[in-house]
Amino acid sequence: MSIFSLLSQKPWMPDQAAIDNTHIGRSSSHPLPRIALYVLMAVIGVLFSLFSVAYIGRMAYGDWRILPEPTLLWFNTGVIMLSSFAFARATVNAKENDLKRTREYLLLAGVLTLGFITGQLFVWRELVSFGYFVSTNPSYAFFYLLTALHILHLLGGLIAWFVVTYKSFVPQREASNFALSVNLCAIYWHFLLIVWTLLFVMLLLT
Amino acid sequence: MSESIIPESELEEVELYHAKSWWTEKVFTQDAKLIAIQYGLTAFAIGFVALVLSWFMRIQIAFPELSIISEGTYYQFITMHGMIMVVYLLTALFLGAFGNYLIPLMVGARDMVFPYLNMVSYWTYLVAVLVLFVSFFTPGGPTGAGWTLYPPQAILGGTPGQESGIILMLVSLCIFIVGFTMGGLNYVITILQARTRGMTLMRMPLTVWGIFTATVLALFAFPALFVSAVMMLFDKILLTSFFMPALVEFGENLTYGGGSPILFQHLFWFFGHPEVYIVALPAFGIVSDLISIHARKNIFGFRMMVWAIVGIGALSFIVWAHHMYVSGMNPYFGFFFATTTLIIAVPTALKVYNWILTLWRGNINLTIPMLFCLGFIVTFLNGGLTGLFLGNVIVDVPLSDTYFVVAHFHMVMGIAPVLVILGAIYHWYPLITGKMLHDGMGRFHFWVTFVGSYLIYFPMHYLGFIGVPRRYYEMGQTEALYTSSAADLNVFITLAALAVGFAQLVFIFNVFWSAKKGIVAEKNPWNATSLEWQTPEQPPIHGNFGKELPVVYRWAYDYSVPGAEDDYIPQDVPNEDVSLADGYSELGVEKT
Repeated sequence: MSIFSLLSQKPWMPDQAAIDNTHIGRSSSHPLPRIALYVLMAVIGVLFSLFSVAYIGRMAYGDWRILPEPTLLWFNTGVIMLSSFAFARATVNAKENDLKRTREYLLLAGVLTLGFITGQLFVWRELVSFGYFVSTNPSYAFFYLLTALHILHLLGGLIAWFVVTYKSFVPQREASNFALSVNLCAIYWHFLLIVWTLLFVMLLLT
Repeated sequence: MSESIIPESELEEVELYHAKSWWTEKVFTQDAKLIAIQYGLTAFAIGFVALVLSWFMRIQIAFPELSIISEGTYYQFITMHGMIMVVYLLTALFLGAFGNYLIPLMVGARDMVFPYLNMVSYWTYLVAVLVLFVSFFTPGGPTGAGWTLYPPQAILGGTPGQESGIILMLVSLCIFIVGFTMGGLNYVITILQARTRGMTLMRMPLTVWGIFTATVLALFAFPALFVSAVMMLFDKILLTSFFMPALVEFGENLTYGGGSPILFQHLFWFFGHPEVYIVALPAFGIVSDLISIHARKNIFGFRMMVWAIVGIGALSFIVWAHHMYVSGMNPYFGFFFATTTLIIAVPTALKVYNWILTLWRGNINLTIPMLFCLGFIVTFLNGGLTGLFLGNVIVDVPLSDTYFVVAHFHMVMGIAPVLVILGAIYHWYPLITGKMLHDGMGRFHFWVTFVGSYLIYFPMHYLGFIGVPRRYYEMGQTEALYTSSAADLNVFITLAALAVGFAQLVFIFNVFWSAKKGIVAEKNPWNATSLEWQTPEQPPIHGNFGKELPVVYRWAYDYSVPGAEDDYIPQDVPNEDVSLADGYSELGVEKT
C-alpha cells in the first residue's frame, strides 16, 4: 500500500472499518531484526552523507590540499570486497543448512575484515610517516575521521559477527533464525562495503 | 454498520521477558513502562537543575547590583539551561518517557519489540546526563558558549568552560545520540510491526502519530548534531581546522586556519530546526487526543491532522537556515528559506484550526488536562505568529539579537510544549500510579504557570522591540539607549519567573504526595477510548494486556457517537457489544 492510499483512508467510515477489522496489525512481513537493520543502515547512511556534505563544503576553502591516497588503499578495498563476498557465500550455505561451510566462510569473512582494519591502520602509519598529520590539513583530517568512523562501524559489526560465528559452532535448534542472522550480517557488510567504496571514490576524485 | 468479525491472529506472540531478580525487575528493567518512568524522572531531575539556573540568571538581570553570578557564570548558565531544556529534558521526555509508556499500550503491544535495547537506551541516556552534569564540577566549569555552541568562540580561550566543559558537552551529546538511536529504532519498529489486530496505522491515536513522526525526524536529524559535535571535538582536541578560521588570540597566532564557522552553523541547524518539531509533533499529537477526550468529541479533520504531522515533518528539513540570517547569506538563499518558513506555517495553522473546531460545540470539561491544552493552543498561536515575524529576513535582522527572540522561542518551544507535558501528566497520572493528582493544587499550578508565563514573556517582546539585547548579563549604563521601563520590566519579569518556579515546586510536591495519599482513580477516569485505558489492571502490569491481546474495531475518536448510550466507545469494543441509546436500532440509525 502506498503512503498516499494509506493517508487517504477514512477510519471512521463503516466500509473502511470492515477492511480495517481484518488487518493483522503489522505493516511489513519482514522479520523484526531485518527491519531494524534497514532503519539502522538508513541512519548510518545519513551520518556518512552528512560527513560527505561537510567534506565537500570544506573543500571550497582555499587552504584545501589534495591528499595523496596510498596505494595500500586499493589493496584494502579488495580485502573488504572479499570479506563481503565471503559473507554472501556464508548466507547461501546457511540457507542450505550447511553449518560447516557456513562456519568456514564466516571465519574467512572475519579474518578478512580484521585484515582490512589492519590495512587501514597501516595506511594511517604511512601517512604519518610522510608528515601528514590529522592537524596538517582539513583533507587529511577528514581522511582520518572518515576512515576511523568506518572502522568503528565495522568493529560494531564484528560483535554481531562474533555472536553468529559462535553460534555456528553449536548445533542450531532454529536453523532459519541462524540463516537470518548470517544474512543480516552479510547485508550489513555489503552496506559498509558500499559506504567505503563511495568514500574511496570521493577521496580519489578530490 | 460493518461486520466486527476479525480473523484469527496470524502472528505468534513474542515471548515476554521476565525479570529474575529485584535488580532486573526494578533497576535494569526491560519493561517499557518502567523505563519510561526512569526516563521521566531523570529528565525532570536534570530539567529542574536547568530551571534553577534560570532563576539565578533572572535575579542577576533584575538586580545586577547584587552580583549574584559573574558574567562568565551567566554564560555558563545560559548554555546549560538551553541545552538541558531542549535536548535532555524535552526530547527525552516526549520520546523517552511518553514514547516508552504510551506506544506499546496505545498500539496494543505487550512491550517494545527490543526490550533489552530499550533498557540500554535509557542507561546510555543517563550516562549522557551524568557526563553533562559532571562539567559543573570540572576545572573551568561547564561551557559558556551559548546553547548553539558556535565556533570559533566555543573552543577559544576567554570563553568559560573552554578547558573541559565544551569537551564534556560534545561528548555528552554524542552519547545522547547513540542512546536515542537505540530507543528510536524501538519506537519506530514497535509502531510499524507490533500493533495488535485491527490496529491500522490510520486507527492509531494522534499521540502515536506524533511520536512516530518525531522519532523518524530525530533519527535523521540527530546525525547532523553528531557530525558537528565530532568535528568540533577534533578541532578542540586534535587542533584540526574544520570550523576554525585563522585566529589571533591574546596577540598570538593560533595554529588554526581556513576553517568555516558557517559550516558548523549549517550542520547544527540542519539538526536544530527539525529538533523544534521533534518536540512539537508529539505535543501536537498529545494535545489532539486530550482535547478530543476532554471535549467528548471526535478530533476535527483527523486525516488532515495526520497529513499535517507528516507534512510538517518533511518540511522541517528545509527551513534550517532561517536561524542564520544574521550570519550573512545570498539574498536568494534567504528568500528560499523565508518562503519555506511561511509554507510550514500552513499545516501548523491547520492544526490550530482543527483544535479550535474540535472544541466548537464540544462538551468541554474544564479538567486540568483541558486547561493545559487550552493554554497550549493560545501560547502556541502567539509563539507561532512571532515566528512568522522572525522567519522573514528583513524583520529578523534587527530583532535577532534582542529579547524578541527569547520571547518567541520560549513561547513556542518552551512554554507551549511544557504546557502539553504538564497536561499529559495530569491526564495519564491515574494510569501510571492508579491515583488522581490533587485537583486544587493542580488548578493552582495551572493558573500560576499559565498567567505567570505570559507575565514573563509578553513584556520580553516589548523589550525586544525597543532593542534590549539578549545574552547581556546586565544592562549597565544604558539609560540613553532604552527607557527606564526596560529595567523595571526586568524586575517584574524576574518576580513572575520566581512565582512560576514556585508553582513548579507545588507540582512536584503534588506528584509525590498524590502517589501516596491521592484519591484512588477509578478505572478509565476520563472515559477515553484508546487502548491504554482498557488494560485489565490499572496501572497496567508487565505485559500490559492480560492473557489475550486486545482486538481493535474502531478508530480512537468514537466520542458522542449517535445511537450509543455512553458518550465514548473504546477501541476494543465491537459494534454488537455497544449499548444503544433509547430510540436507536443500531449506531447512527434511529428506530423508524
